[in-house]
Amino acid sequence: MRPSAPPSIHEEERLGKAYDARMVRRLWSYVRPHRALVLLSMVLLLAVSAAQLAQPYLVKVAIDDYISKRSLEGLGGVAALFLAALIAEFVLRFAQIYVLERTGQNVVFDIRSHVFAHLQHLPSAFFDRNPVGRLMTRLTSDVEALHEVFTSGVVVILTDLIKLAGIVAILVWMDWRLALVTFTVLPPLLIVTWYFRIRMRRAYRRVRLLVARLNAFLQESVTGMRVVQIFVRERANLERFHEINRDHRDAQLKSVQYDSIFSAAAEMISSVTLAAIVWAGGSRILSGATTFGTLVAFIEYAGKFFRPLQELSQRYTVMQSAMSAAERIFKLLDTEIPIKSPPKPARIEKRLRGEIVFENVTFGYNEGEPVLHDVSFRIRPGERVAVVGWTGAGKSTLIRLLVRLYDVQEGRILFDGIDIREYDLQELRRSIGVVLQDHFLFAGTVEGNISLGDPRVSPERVRQAAEAVRADRFIDRLPKGYGEEVRERGSNFSVGEKQLLSFARAVAFDPAVLVLDEATASVDPETERRIQDALETLLRGRTSIIIAHRLATIRGADRILVLHRGRLLEEGSHEKLVALEGGLYSKLYRLQTSES
Amino acid sequence: MRRADRDGTPPVMARFWVFARPYLPTYMVGLLLLLLTNGLSLWIPWLLRDAIDAIEAGTELRVLAGFAGAMIGVALLQGIVRTLSRLTILGNARRVAYDIRNRFFEHLQRLGANFYDTHRTGDIMSRGVNDIRLLQSFYGPGVLNFLNTVIIYVATLALLLSIDVQLTLISLALYPVLLLGVNLLSRRVYGRSLAVQEQLATISNRAQENISGIQQVKTYVQEEREISDFRELCAEFRRRNLAMASVRGGMVSLIGIVSGVGTLVVLFVGGRFVIEGRLTFGDFVAFNAYLGLLAWPTVAMGWIINVFQRGAGAMDRLEEVLDQEPDVPAALDEGSEEAPERAEPVDGDIEIRGLTFVYGARTEEVDPRVATLRDIDLTIPRGSRLALVGPVGSGKSTLVNLLARVYPVPRGTILIGGVDINDIPVSRLRTSLGYVPQEAFLFSRSVKENILFGQPDASDDEIERAIDVSRLAGDLESFPEGLETIVGERGFTLSGGQRQRATLARAVVGDPRILILDDSLSSVDADTERAILTELDVVMRDRTTIFISHRPSALADMDRIVFVERGRIVESGTHDELMSKEGAYARLFHRQMLERDLGPS
Repeated sequence: MRPSAPPSIHEEERLGKAYDARMVRRLWSYVRPHRALVLLSMVLLLAVSAAQLAQPYLVKVAIDDYISKRSLEGLGGVAALFLAALIAEFVLRFAQIYVLERTGQNVVFDIRSHVFAHLQHLPSAFFDRNPVGRLMTRLTSDVEALHEVFTSGVVVILTDLIKLAGIVAILVWMDWRLALVTFTVLPPLLIVTWYFRIRMRRAYRRVRLLVARLNAFLQESVTGMRVVQIFVRERANLERFHEINRDHRDAQLKSVQYDSIFSAAAEMISSVTLAAIVWAGGSRILSGATTFGTLVAFIEYAGKFFRPLQELSQRYTVMQSAMSAAERIFKLLDTEIPIKSPPKPARIEKRLRGEIVFENVTFGYNEGEPVLHDVSFRIRPGERVAVVGWTGAGKSTLIRLLVRLYDVQEGRILFDGIDIREYDLQELRRSIGVVLQDHFLFAGTVEGNISLGDPRVSPERVRQAAEAVRADRFIDRLPKGYGEEVRERGSNFSVGEKQLLSFARAVAFDPAVLVLDEATASVDPETERRIQDALETLLRGRTSIIIAHRLATIRGADRILVLHRGRLLEEGSHEKLVALEGGLYSKLYRLQTSES
Repeated sequence: MRRADRDGTPPVMARFWVFARPYLPTYMVGLLLLLLTNGLSLWIPWLLRDAIDAIEAGTELRVLAGFAGAMIGVALLQGIVRTLSRLTILGNARRVAYDIRNRFFEHLQRLGANFYDTHRTGDIMSRGVNDIRLLQSFYGPGVLNFLNTVIIYVATLALLLSIDVQLTLISLALYPVLLLGVNLLSRRVYGRSLAVQEQLATISNRAQENISGIQQVKTYVQEEREISDFRELCAEFRRRNLAMASVRGGMVSLIGIVSGVGTLVVLFVGGRFVIEGRLTFGDFVAFNAYLGLLAWPTVAMGWIINVFQRGAGAMDRLEEVLDQEPDVPAALDEGSEEAPERAEPVDGDIEIRGLTFVYGARTEEVDPRVATLRDIDLTIPRGSRLALVGPVGSGKSTLVNLLARVYPVPRGTILIGGVDINDIPVSRLRTSLGYVPQEAFLFSRSVKENILFGQPDASDDEIERAIDVSRLAGDLESFPEGLETIVGERGFTLSGGQRQRATLARAVVGDPRILILDDSLSSVDADTERAILTELDVVMRDRTTIFISHRPSALADMDRIVFVERGRIVESGTHDELMSKEGAYARLFHRQMLERDLGPS
């Protein structure tokens, strides 16, 4: 019954297809809600292209109708039109960029939120198997790669294509014979572009690979510098670095080579086109078949023709990496959620009594390595139970199973006589107050950390809870009191303060069952005393399970469970267990007392 | 930790100069090629002008063909020269970056533990990766575009003026305005993009916090709240992105119309001049073409300034590292380093005399109140086995680190064979030691390369023996490719115990005179540890062993046990002596015996 986790492979480097119908369909489901914006940006794109392409034509009109005819009258009108086209281009392009960005941001916002929300519901076992770094990559760089689809992918490709088609149409319409001559340079341009782009892509890929290798080596050397120095391997290491650095430089030089040739070749071809237009256009002017204006307009249009063609293959790379990012994201979204509430959860009537029964529970985090073996015990409502044992005995696992961070593999856990898997997951977790050892604080305010944002916990209740565990004293001293911001993981609070805050949190929710993983961290005696007092308040009148480290806490329990290597070894009151000759508890007890 | 004297810091350009110097001839060639390229590319509109004037005059086809042919010829030549000019200048940048990177790495290897204690890996990486990349774009595209801009501006301006002074002044009047606008917007884009990056970092941090605390999130049923908080952060991210898009959109649109504005002026004013007969039609077309050539350099100006500024910042950060002087002489700087392993090993009694040590402080100004080690007096006879025991943070690791001179050692406090270790070349001292560090660090290489790390020339027998001692043979069988298995993140993952034993094999393969184990068998199970120690007894006969451990089973056979607490030696003697004392050591021993009996393993 193990939750299935995706195999851990290094997928980041893989580059997929530039177009994958399945991925595109799925991406479309995120774009669909914003299709009005998409449409608007397309319309704007067309308008921008129109404004741009009108300009060379206006130049033609100015030349043919006014300048050639030596007529000053009307030149101002054409110039005004040109100015209008420029302003239109400026405004429309601005609007288009903004609308497109807005679309992209909306889609990316939805995807990122969706991925994050999905992560919240994945089981703990998933996180055991997927390093934080990988999940962070999904949420950041992968989502950003999708964003690129909008800013420099699909839409730009479409624009470029529309613009190219527009130029072809205008050229043919103005003078189709001259247009044909102009187009003869297209095949060589396409061939050159194609030839170099393939090689450049390969060269860039090699550069990226070597950059990664270089950085990995640098990082490893920095981390292991002490080992390098103690073993006096500086020279050998330096030679190794030189080698990688050399390979890296050579790969870079290779890419520079292609880059230089390609950009020079592209420029050369555009100059040759110019020569062709001058030759063919000039001879047609001489024979009276065409005008100067047409010639100049051709030169202008040809200039606008080349850039999009050269950039098409860059777009291709953007699409490729976006598709593989999409694949990784969707794979994460497809991970199933095995621990969830049943379709018809058991109703929780009023307040639970707080009876807990473990029945032959067996569980392990890894296949074939059980951490708990056949553990059974019953805790009566209102009883205070301490669990003791060495590190690794399985104490914390008990808590994780009780709140269903993991599901038992064999046996079952009953809460008020009902299998915990039959309750609504969140209801179950809310009914059990858990105070964990590391006193995790959430981002937000002090108040938010006690109320956990639950509307049922009023500000008065928060204050009462803080007073009950005497946390009010230090909270009142904070500059903003209950409104004080909690910095990353509560780094602005001391261990003792964090402990009191998490006690207050538990009191505020008044749960039927309280589970406490007692902190081992040492605090000063004064704080220690306050914590013990607070603990008494906290435990009063509830069923409680304490993973105990302090003798005082253990002795105050009604019953002690001694866990050892995943089995329940001894069980009983302090007096009974101490009297047990050769028992684990009595040994532990004697050791503790002899040391303190 | 000496920084270069700030007053003596050479001006920015001089510092860039140091790395560019070896490539000066190539840069000069590049400059010449660049002049030639621009000369050729400016020739083409001139030919165009003459061609058009000829057409207007009703020339013959033959003359027209001559112009077209000349244009093609110039274009071909220009293609070649442009390729070469880019190759030399952009290629130079790669070579300079290569040099800087080598120099940086070499210097990193000189710096000692104090430097690494105070600089995070991420910080060093960012200098070695991002800053060098910034410098590369300074030395390449930065220099190239700077030269290009200057050449094009000067030459084009001259040509424009030669065509018509008045038209030149009118059409260029708008350029400074556009240039200013573009610069202003690009600075704002930069500012807003920083805000975007900042928010992305906030999102990352928040997500990281959430994922690492996911158990707590679930336990406290905080999923919905976390989601809504996260959405809020993402919404802010979207808002900032849109704020950036609004300036970026302005900038991109403005750049888009720069050459159009030129055309507009030429059309309106130049057209008038043609009609008035002041200009020929060819002049008109050429003027427009030249003006178009100015558009890109005008826009690029802002970018170049930016590259120069960021390059200067990068240079500063790199020099901060390069100016650090190592506080322990670097093995790299010692003479006999071609084969340190063949140097006469250091051997003899180890004497520690009144050693007091404070991290990060210079050896002469030690404040004993904050000292990690205080008045340590200890003699370790040659060939004996010493155990260091004590609570975490008591100074045990510091003591063995000092034996390897990882930190500066006060004069006269540590002697080996009667010689102050400050007088022993660092490389000789360290090659005599077999050191197994607390953290079992292995490189992402094969197991074999890791074991041979300090002794690449060791024979197969020696490897065999090291594997034997460290009880690795059984594990090697389970590795996919035995000794050739690549370890590490991208390779095969070793268990903690396997890593520790591999680092032990790495230390013993060179038959060291002094073996130091810094709590380096903690993840190895007790039985294996006992077997390893028995084996070590044989290997380390006549050799000195210093052993930090927490396991009682490991300590019983030691010649001497030293109990360290808060930087002082509190008890010292054989196991039996210390047990009969019933002091700190005896208590620790009892506790650990019990733990061993009951422990989880």
